[in-house]
Amino acid sequence: MSRTISIEPVTRIEGHARISLQLGDDGAVEDARFHLTQFRGFEKFCEGRPYREMPALTARTCGICPVSHLLASNKACDHLLAVSIPPTAEKLRRIMNLAQFLQSHALSFFHLSSPDLLLGWDADPATRNIFGVMHQHPDLARDGIRLRQIGQTIIEMLGGKKIHPTWVVPGGVNEPLTQEKRDAMLKLLPEALEIARRTYDFFKTLLPKFKHEADHFGTLPTMFLSLVTPQGNLEHYDGLLRIKDAHGRIVEDMVPPEEFERLIGEAVENFSYMKFPYYKPMGYPQGIYRVGPLARLNNAQACGTPYADVALAEFHMLQESGPITSSFHYHYARLVEIIYAIEMMERLLKDSTILDSRVRARARSNRNEGIGVSEAPRGTLIHHYRIDDDGLITWVNLIIATGHNNLAMNQAIKQVAETYVNGNQLQEGMLNRVEAVIRCFDPCLSCASHAFGQMPLRIELKNASGQIVDTLIRVGECGA
Amino acid sequence: MKILVIGYGSPIRGDDALGVLVADRLEQDGVPEHVTVIARHILTAELVTEMSAVQRVIFLDAAIDLAPGTVRCQRLTPTARAASSMAHFLDPQELLGWCTALYGHAPESHLITGGGASFDYADYRLSPAGEFAMTAMLAEIEPLLYA
Repeated sequence: MSRTISIEPVTRIEGHARISLQLGDDGAVEDARFHLTQFRGFEKFCEGRPYREMPALTARTCGICPVSHLLASNKACDHLLAVSIPPTAEKLRRIMNLAQFLQSHALSFFHLSSPDLLLGWDADPATRNIFGVMHQHPDLARDGIRLRQIGQTIIEMLGGKKIHPTWVVPGGVNEPLTQEKRDAMLKLLPEALEIARRTYDFFKTLLPKFKHEADHFGTLPTMFLSLVTPQGNLEHYDGLLRIKDAHGRIVEDMVPPEEFERLIGEAVENFSYMKFPYYKPMGYPQGIYRVGPLARLNNAQACGTPYADVALAEFHMLQESGPITSSFHYHYARLVEIIYAIEMMERLLKDSTILDSRVRARARSNRNEGIGVSEAPRGTLIHHYRIDDDGLITWVNLIIATGHNNLAMNQAIKQVAETYVNGNQLQEGMLNRVEAVIRCFDPCLSCASHAFGQMPLRIELKNASGQIVDTLIRVGECGA
Repeated sequence: MKILVIGYGSPIRGDDALGVLVADRLEQDGVPEHVTVIARHILTAELVTEMSAVQRVIFLDAAIDLAPGTVRCQRLTPTARAASSMAHFLDPQELLGWCTALYGHAPESHLITGGGASFDYADYRLSPAGEFAMTAMLAEIEPLLYA
């Protein structure tokens, strides 16, 4: 007698996602699906707009990582202009991107995932929340706030205090950096690095407690996609595409981002509005891959900064050989990237050309197709536009980081459910682990994956005739 | 006394921009040296550090449960509900709760909301009722900017 468990809503972000678990006769999980039921249509309603509006329009795709869309969109516009942006403009854009990584990763680790990591998966949900963390680990909670503040402050210093800054523009940036701002930013970074290293060292002490979760939280033999530098090192803004398989073999390397369509296909399923990108030569769904911090570190030979390189070497030792396949270690990878972001920002800010006044190349559109690829905190972000001769958008495709991870998230949920779900008796700890594996990916859906403890959840266990066998309800306090 | 004014809302959703536009107007008109004004799309966690360093916070927001053009002033107290998404906060009281939990104190806090009439797409533009609310909000803020 097959049964279905439906978790709905998984996400409180307008409540548009749910998880369903299909159980077999013996109560074991046979399949799991992650349904994104929210439809937005950004790609369609951008049609007909002037391409220069795209950075401002697409930055509003996301209230959490607008900087990522701003950068990928402007890179697509640079491509339409057929210009190379001035070197100083590129460095300034990189700093803004790294500041975004800093604040985004800090949010994910310190505030979204730390209650599970510090208070335990099975802790009372009434206290397994950020206030529980503040109570038991106030220093760590303050550290998280401070890192976020430093990242956000740097973004504001570069982009101005306006919401959705227009500082990054097609062809570069619209204003050079002043010495005063440069010095102010540099002053923030030693404290940030101290916090990041302290947190990293602390997290390593927690790892032995989570061996079981590390083995069963989306430990999948997928490929990994990311940008790398021409030397094969960690890259977040530009670079070339690399795909590595689960055994560490490089499947694709040094692929110009403009050729991404040769590598990536997009499938659709009737149970979700999120597309299912896959590695085209292997077909769907065999061509499963992951993106984001885990993929970037698996693909990188080195970070290129002192402390991050030490941390990367330790990261690679989490497994005896090959890439790190456990999605649980996205957390670890985020901490390494925080260290890298701080070190690299310092290096860029100390660059002798960073105050150069030549920061923008001006041109009209010189081709009808533009592709912009950069790394967002959650993974590789692709903006692809076509325009007519008047510069009006005729077609748009956005492949966002969370989309790349869609196949893997579905499999990870299944793995966690297979390990922890008892089909005959639902438990709070099971709910929390299903949520927690989603949080490993830090999907940008999502009040839900960005909420915990009090996230509203309703799980129903039904038999084949649709009769409810068991129900577990957790009521959220917030209805947005 | 240090005072922090935080205006928040979406600048492209008509009267939802009230908090942001009132904050912008305050800055343009000039505020006393002890007052800092910031505008945000949403309330985010890192604001707590700035809140912890002042004695008074004034939140500025738009409301749909108020008659268009009218204004409501409330004193706020911290709450320890973990209801927000962390990426953004729906309730300034939760931010105050964070402030208390992390720094042992929260500033005296006020929420001034203006009733909006239209929350449709409009770039930094208010409805006539929104304009009226903006003027009334500015009048309500004035005495709070001084100890």
